[in-house]
Amino acid sequence: MMNVWGWPIVLALLSGGGLFCGLWGDGWWDWAGWLGLGLPTAAAVWFGWRGRRSTS
Amino acid sequence: MLSTRALRIWSWLHKWTSLVSTLFMLVLCITGLPLIFHHEIGAWLGTEVVAPELTRNTPRVSLDRVMEVARQRFPSKGGMFVSQEPDDDKIWYVTMSDTPTSESDLKQVAVDARTGRALAEPVVDGGVMGVIHTLHVEMFAGLPGKLFLGFMALLMLIAIVSGVVLYAPFMRKLRFGEVRRERSTRLKWLDLHNLLGIATLTWALVVGATGMINTWADLVVQYWRNDQVAAMVAPYRGLPPLKELGSLEKAVAAARAQEPSMRIGFIAFPGTVFSSAHHYGVFFRGSEPLTSRLFKPVLVDAVTGEVTASRTPPWYLSALLISQPLHFGDYAGAPMQWIWFVLDLITIVVLGSGLYLWWVKRAPKRQASRAAAVEAAR
Repeated sequence: MMNVWGWPIVLALLSGGGLFCGLWGDGWWDWAGWLGLGLPTAAAVWFGWRGRRSTS
Repeated sequence: MLSTRALRIWSWLHKWTSLVSTLFMLVLCITGLPLIFHHEIGAWLGTEVVAPELTRNTPRVSLDRVMEVARQRFPSKGGMFVSQEPDDDKIWYVTMSDTPTSESDLKQVAVDARTGRALAEPVVDGGVMGVIHTLHVEMFAGLPGKLFLGFMALLMLIAIVSGVVLYAPFMRKLRFGEVRRERSTRLKWLDLHNLLGIATLTWALVVGATGMINTWADLVVQYWRNDQVAAMVAPYRGLPPLKELGSLEKAVAAARAQEPSMRIGFIAFPGTVFSSAHHYGVFFRGSEPLTSRLFKPVLVDAVTGEVTASRTPPWYLSALLISQPLHFGDYAGAPMQWIWFVLDLITIVVLGSGLYLWWVKRAPKRQASRAAAVEAAR
């Protein structure tokens, strides 16, 4: 179960936190927003582009 | 674990909600890309108005003077709105129209708030960006167009949720981020579709849901008028329409005295959807990042210039206002806009790969039916 859902849950929480933080304040809050939403985006681009090679 | 029957129902839901909405979503994603940067593109095209830097901290001219300047440009039209950008109080944007509720032939004059000089006449919804914006918001079909796109957004939200349900059965044998590139083109795109879809899930849900809420903006504002404005201006009911308007400067000063710590977002003239037939609606915004998105209305008698009523906006208006930045991605500087841009591109890939996967899945059936047809023709 967690094999499948572990990373998606982490990315969803990061994105949600990022969307909220950017809206809540300026300065450090903006940085939190960029990181929170930026990391899942970077993960999507990284795995989508280069990919984790197939093992099966 | 999903039963076979449940799996079939979710697949059906995912397939049809996606198929119906995908083309519209592609148009929205593509037109949305330049809209993320509409301010920057406006500055680059030279359509963004810039106030000259003045050496001294000059006092502001009266709003009555500002209106006089705007009226000289368009003598046949009346005032509709006067607004300010959140980050620039040096310019007043005066919107003029034939009637307070006109939707076409609006004219705008940008007036320097310190010198009272007309700086420019920005074209309302004009140029390439205007066309892109209208296409994105309503497909040139007015309110029905908006509501239709809102319904497409709802279908896309169902497609996203059903996609999440289907994610697990497809990923049982794969690690996160694994893409089977060597086996077949279809498998590669299936894995990419699942990976990119799940990684951008929260953003897609938020932008989809807030986009849908934004399509209801006209209806929400209308409801707010019937619900709250009507109550606030009840004593004015039945009074004859105004012939002459009182001083705008005096009215705004009275409203400012009521909300000294807030800044003006926009002022609505009597008869528009944001005021009553007898009032100026002065809409203030806070100075904090979040409160700068929320407007607080103060209604001022348009003849005497005295404050009639002021109410904190109800939850549904706040929800509408908060869903705007969450849809536009314009609330945390340039890095956020670029993240929005990349996520938009990824969404285009998810939509495109979804369409492709549906197409190749149909291919064997198509061949079979063609073979059957050939067989029957013999």
